[in-house]
Amino acid sequence: MNEKLYEIVSKVFNVDNSRINDETSPENLDEWDSFNFYVLLDEIENQFSINFDLDETLEIKKVGDFKKLLEKNGVKI
Amino acid sequence: MKNEENLAYFLNEAKTIKPRELEKKLRIAFLASSTINGFEETMRVKCFEKGIECITYVADYNQYNQEILDQNSGLYQFKPDITFLILDTRHVLGEYFFSWYTVPHDDRQKIIDTKISELKNICNTFTKNSDSKLVLTSLQIPNYSPYGFHDEHITKSLKQVIYEINTELFEWNKQYNLFTYDFNRFVRKFGENNIFNYKQFFSGDIKISTEYIPKFIDDLMGYVYAVTGTSKKCIVLDLDNTLWGGIIGEDGFDNIKLGDNPIGRSFVEFQKRLLALNQRGIILAINSKNNFDDAIEVIQKHPNMILREDNFACVKINWDDKVSNIQRITEELNIGLDSMVFFDDDPINQEYVRESLPEVLVMNLPKDSSQYAQIITEMKEFDVLKITEEDTKRSDMYLKQKKRKEFESKVGNFNEFLKQMNIQVHVQKADSFSIPRISQLTLKTNQFNLTTRRYQEDEISKFSSSDDKIVECIQVSDKFGDNGITGTYIVEKKNNEEWIVDTFLLSCRIMGRGVEEIMMNQIIENAKSSGVKRIKGKFIPTAKNKPAENFYEKLGFKKENDFWIFDTDNTLKTPEHIKVIKNE
Repeated sequence: MNEKLYEIVSKVFNVDNSRINDETSPENLDEWDSFNFYVLLDEIENQFSINFDLDETLEIKKVGDFKKLLEKNGVKI
Repeated sequence: MKNEENLAYFLNEAKTIKPRELEKKLRIAFLASSTINGFEETMRVKCFEKGIECITYVADYNQYNQEILDQNSGLYQFKPDITFLILDTRHVLGEYFFSWYTVPHDDRQKIIDTKISELKNICNTFTKNSDSKLVLTSLQIPNYSPYGFHDEHITKSLKQVIYEINTELFEWNKQYNLFTYDFNRFVRKFGENNIFNYKQFFSGDIKISTEYIPKFIDDLMGYVYAVTGTSKKCIVLDLDNTLWGGIIGEDGFDNIKLGDNPIGRSFVEFQKRLLALNQRGIILAINSKNNFDDAIEVIQKHPNMILREDNFACVKINWDDKVSNIQRITEELNIGLDSMVFFDDDPINQEYVRESLPEVLVMNLPKDSSQYAQIITEMKEFDVLKITEEDTKRSDMYLKQKKRKEFESKVGNFNEFLKQMNIQVHVQKADSFSIPRISQLTLKTNQFNLTTRRYQEDEISKFSSSDDKIVECIQVSDKFGDNGITGTYIVEKKNNEEWIVDTFLLSCRIMGRGVEEIMMNQIIENAKSSGVKRIKGKFIPTAKNKPAENFYEKLGFKKENDFWIFDTDNTLKTPEHIKVIKNE
């Protein structure tokens, strides 16, 4: 899952895979802005065929948060 | 997920576009009542991919009213060519969107009238302050009603009143410089539940979900093609496995698939779509590797064939390669390569034409013929600003052109041919009937065009009512029939001494028969009778107007700096085989 998640993030923000880790966030990645976050969210939901709750999405601050959410929703690592 | 249709792709690609000198330029403004991030990025990328340099202006969130009402706003300073005003039902109706059914019946009409007059005021102000084309989205008709199926029986239901507002918006096209985009067409295609994502709406007032933004912009591309004059005019078609299933040379007349089976039906459907486009004025041509006799027999005699010989303005069935055939088709039809679309099921042919003739739009036709009809119905490349009477007659005109060519080769001697053609030129002032066509000619004519200035209908209309300008057009007919309005000129009466040729153009299908001399002579004679001494004109070279390059010189104009000048003491020698009729 890590690999797939990082690949989606790197594709959406168009940055090298090596720059993505669990701590990646708008604070340390300029390419991450408030709008393409929705694009990323939509992409992750589509790719993993799940739907996050609105309140869950509001808690996402960094890539690691996606990972936790995916695990919580039963996506196996 | 196909990467190229994905919004992330457009957002990222938009950052890499560097300004480059593209021949076509377009300024697009976006105004909206909700978040429209991603719209301009997608639009710029899509335009760039079509060779159009697009510069955009995006009004701040929900500032469309102020931008339109304030004459000094950034919007007007930007001077857009197209302005998209994207309004939505929730915004326009406000709380009524939820509480409509509590409004007493008698008040409902009053509310609709107010909404309509508010919208009208916005459009009115905009068209007064700007020359931009305005594209206004119609309002989405909601799917839901608290009354469930009873909604259909309620007078002035929410659905009905929005429909009523939309009908009014569609009517405005006749009064203002605007087009109303049928937003419900977009909703019908993709569905409300797909294009509207509650989470995105609550989080960021996003009313078209990020996933569907590229599809929405795709729909708007039709306006881009229309305004830039980059629409396609001609479809070049392969035959085997493109218009019918199977290979005629191998399977034979009785065994190709056309009609009564699933595969055969897909080709019939595709042909029916092509026929409808042909009837609207899109020219069809054949480019097929086959024995001529085998293939033409199907076109003439197959009971399930929809397109017949007369639907094709040009037929190339031979063993030559596809590229040289396309080149011959452009020459014979006198249509630019960039006005052509090529349909061929063979990926090798597709690639070959794409490589050799990059101006031609080569469709990615898959192996599966069931997709062909859908592919052609999703194309926006045939959209034009105005569909004139000329368009619907075009196929017939090309057929006559085919017959003229045959006559020409029969007569042999060109001068003799011209004499026998009985060419008549009707010269007429622009009027409400011809103005749309004149504008269309300025937008589309590339070859015999001295200045290639593009004018929208309202501009031509302004010129024609001005005392400082002459706007005239010519209608050409001959023994084979009427060519319609095929030439126009706009002259600026600069002063009593000299007139300036602002625009002078002729459709390529009547070029080279002396009509151009007749047209220039009209200007000269007109100037003489007004006591004007000189006619001045520029030749502005483009990639395509080489056929008009030596025109001034040939007619005896003298070059001075940038201008070609004709002294009206001289007289132009005009061809004798043409009869001129002046309609005042």
